[in-house]
Amino acid sequence: MFERLKPHFPWITLFALAGIVGAANPSFFNPGGLALLVSDIVPLFIMALGMTFAIYIGGIDLSVQQIANMVTVIATVFLAPLGIGVAVVAIAAGLAFGAAAGFVTSRMYVPSFVSTLALGFVALSIAKWLSGQRALSMDAAMREESFAWMFGVTAGVPHEMVIAAALLAFAWFLQSRTRFGRALKAVGAGELAAVASGIGVDRVKIAAFAISGAFAAIAGLMFSVKLSGGDANLANGFLLLAIVAVLVGGTPLTGGVGGVLNTAVGTLIVMVIRAAMVYLEIDATQQQMVFGLVLIAAIALTIDRSKLRGVVK
Amino acid sequence: MYALEKVDKRFPGVHALKAVDFHVNRGEIVGLVGENGAGKSTLMKVIYGAHQPDGGRIAIDGRAVRFQNPRQAMDHGIGMVFQEQSLIANLTVMENIFLGFERQFTAYGVIDWRAMAAAARTELAKVRLDIDPATITSRLSFAQRQLVELAKVLTIEGRVDGDLVILLDEPTSVLARAEVELLFGIVRDLTKRASFIFVSHRMDEVLELSDRIYVMKDGAVVDVVDRADADADAIQHKMVGREVDKEYYREQKQKPHGGEVLASFEGVSLEGAFEDISFELRAGEVLCLVGTEGSGREAILRALYGLRRPTSGTVTVKGRPVTRFTARDGVGRGIGYLPRERKVEGIVAGMNVHENMTLAQLPKYSVGGVLRVAAERRMARDWIDRLGIKTPSERTDCAGLSGGNQQKVVLAKWRSGGSDIFLLDHPTRGLDIGAKEDVYEMIREMSDAGAGILLVADTLEEAIGLGHTILVIKDGRFRKRFDGTPGRKPSLYDLLHHMI
Repeated sequence: MFERLKPHFPWITLFALAGIVGAANPSFFNPGGLALLVSDIVPLFIMALGMTFAIYIGGIDLSVQQIANMVTVIATVFLAPLGIGVAVVAIAAGLAFGAAAGFVTSRMYVPSFVSTLALGFVALSIAKWLSGQRALSMDAAMREESFAWMFGVTAGVPHEMVIAAALLAFAWFLQSRTRFGRALKAVGAGELAAVASGIGVDRVKIAAFAISGAFAAIAGLMFSVKLSGGDANLANGFLLLAIVAVLVGGTPLTGGVGGVLNTAVGTLIVMVIRAAMVYLEIDATQQQMVFGLVLIAAIALTIDRSKLRGVVK
Repeated sequence: MYALEKVDKRFPGVHALKAVDFHVNRGEIVGLVGENGAGKSTLMKVIYGAHQPDGGRIAIDGRAVRFQNPRQAMDHGIGMVFQEQSLIANLTVMENIFLGFERQFTAYGVIDWRAMAAAARTELAKVRLDIDPATITSRLSFAQRQLVELAKVLTIEGRVDGDLVILLDEPTSVLARAEVELLFGIVRDLTKRASFIFVSHRMDEVLELSDRIYVMKDGAVVDVVDRADADADAIQHKMVGREVDKEYYREQKQKPHGGEVLASFEGVSLEGAFEDISFELRAGEVLCLVGTEGSGREAILRALYGLRRPTSGTVTVKGRPVTRFTARDGVGRGIGYLPRERKVEGIVAGMNVHENMTLAQLPKYSVGGVLRVAAERRMARDWIDRLGIKTPSERTDCAGLSGGNQQKVVLAKWRSGGSDIFLLDHPTRGLDIGAKEDVYEMIREMSDAGAGILLVADTLEEAIGLGHTILVIKDGRFRKRFDGTPGRKPSLYDLLHHMI
């Protein structure tokens, strides 16, 4: 019974939480406010979307927050000379960092939590060096010219939501309809069988981490444009929430099940919890306590203990 | 002395034990045989306290007992010698023997190693093992480790007043014949202090050692025979419900082969696994590699497939020397590999039937990187029919299929891709009789169709029954080649003689 219900937990949780918050505070369902809440969470969602690929193969990407930090600086510094071309540089940087983490993990046998943690510090350091440890502001005119489209509203729909939906559709297609997606599933669910079937497991892993890095860069870019600046600490606080979004969405740390749609649900759960904490007047400094505990609960509920063979270190 | 009365055990969807009556007399060796899934391991687990029965009664000397866990069973004198070696390899022998029972040697939390070593020596003497108790366990041979396990279980003796019952689960599966003799000698000696329950799939050994034999089938005890009346054929008949004979391996379907050479090894070595191995695998041939556990057979298969790179020698596949050793290249050369660990390397649990079948042929089922799922499913339905795979649909998760059907999915993966060299590592391991026969049938069929099959069989009988050619490997080296033409097939003894 429990096992049969398990795949449905994320959306049941979402509706239950939204119901509770809505009952306590009916203004929660006010469309304008809701659209604002959703738009606010888009950069986090994009980061979580990328992270899903890393977790789906049974790894994790701890570098996403630092890649996003680095990208906010890159975007701010190079916006003036490059204009919209800075997006290409930013995404390429994220892709490169992710691919490097994938290479270190698959070819050098460094577990992904270490390889991404280490490369995350490299990214952070680049951000600090490039920004001179100062909070930088974007050139207002260039920002308007190159990226104003990101934050417009068409027919009542914020463009951020359209971007999020488009990236979700892209990620879903990649995961469900392509050879890469199938190989990804095989690596996540049974890596040794994938190896024995001649799947290029290393390449799949490198690609999964590269996607995670690229999505983190897109998240950083959006966040930077949104706040109109860059800073080596700008995206701090994203990492925990991105992991929570993936995990409460139902993609377990052991990989192989769940996926990007789960992460969409998971992000909305994070959003509702965050909104609830605002209504409950929980101080911002205390919110990470809640998310830390939610993360542990989510992992404990979703992890596939049969894959761990009783060994956890 | 120790008795189970009408013991029942159910798991979701399975009635694992059906009113089982079972008893062990003082100093007796009781054999327990049955096919996989007959309920042997469940019965063992009930006996040593890992499972609690749903119904019936367990009695020691007439008094009812109930164990919540193996530790409580141990306190009543019941110990288990595990099949998969349960010793921790990087601990010393004495640490292993007294693992969890160190308190007797400690004062204020500090262990008196001398006292422990002395006690360990006493225990080791019971199993006639003359080794230093401070030896790191990983340095011991398999046979020695098996004896250390036995010694570890025998420590119960010092903690319990009553009699001992010791369970031996497949203790001989990794032992050579001489070591088996040694173990049996020790067990017979120990019957002065303990009773034994001996579980093995080697019928000859069960007959040799046991005073009485319980035969299980489908969760029930179907017969109890005394040693005097025991007859291997009769017992096998009871186990499977029908005769097992030559027909079983489809010998009459074995046809002579005269095909071209599909793959060959010339003086191939892989350090630490095998040395100077040469053979030719021809179209239509079933070539069996025979040897004990760890003799290097699996590594030979993996080297031919591409999962391991030989250190020297020439591997040739279809006339071309192999230079790149990856599984992907192996697939490209038309090789299909059916690994021994079906659930780990064979199928991907969590992926459905068609996803598993196309896993090795994704380029064939995609255009520009986008999958052609309809084509996948069509192919899968076709192979489900051809091989008679029992599954609700091609979209069912492979984890839910029975072992035999999982194996068929793995075979379909390679056959649908047009492989003509098959490397089969223990293809019938863990399958029930019917599923085994299906696998034999398929091996014959593939060989008729001109495929070359390199087989590491689950039993010697299988290798003899199925092989056109049988190569005996010992300690990674080639020992002897036998012709497997019907009528000229070697006997079990011929093979064993060169294996150990």
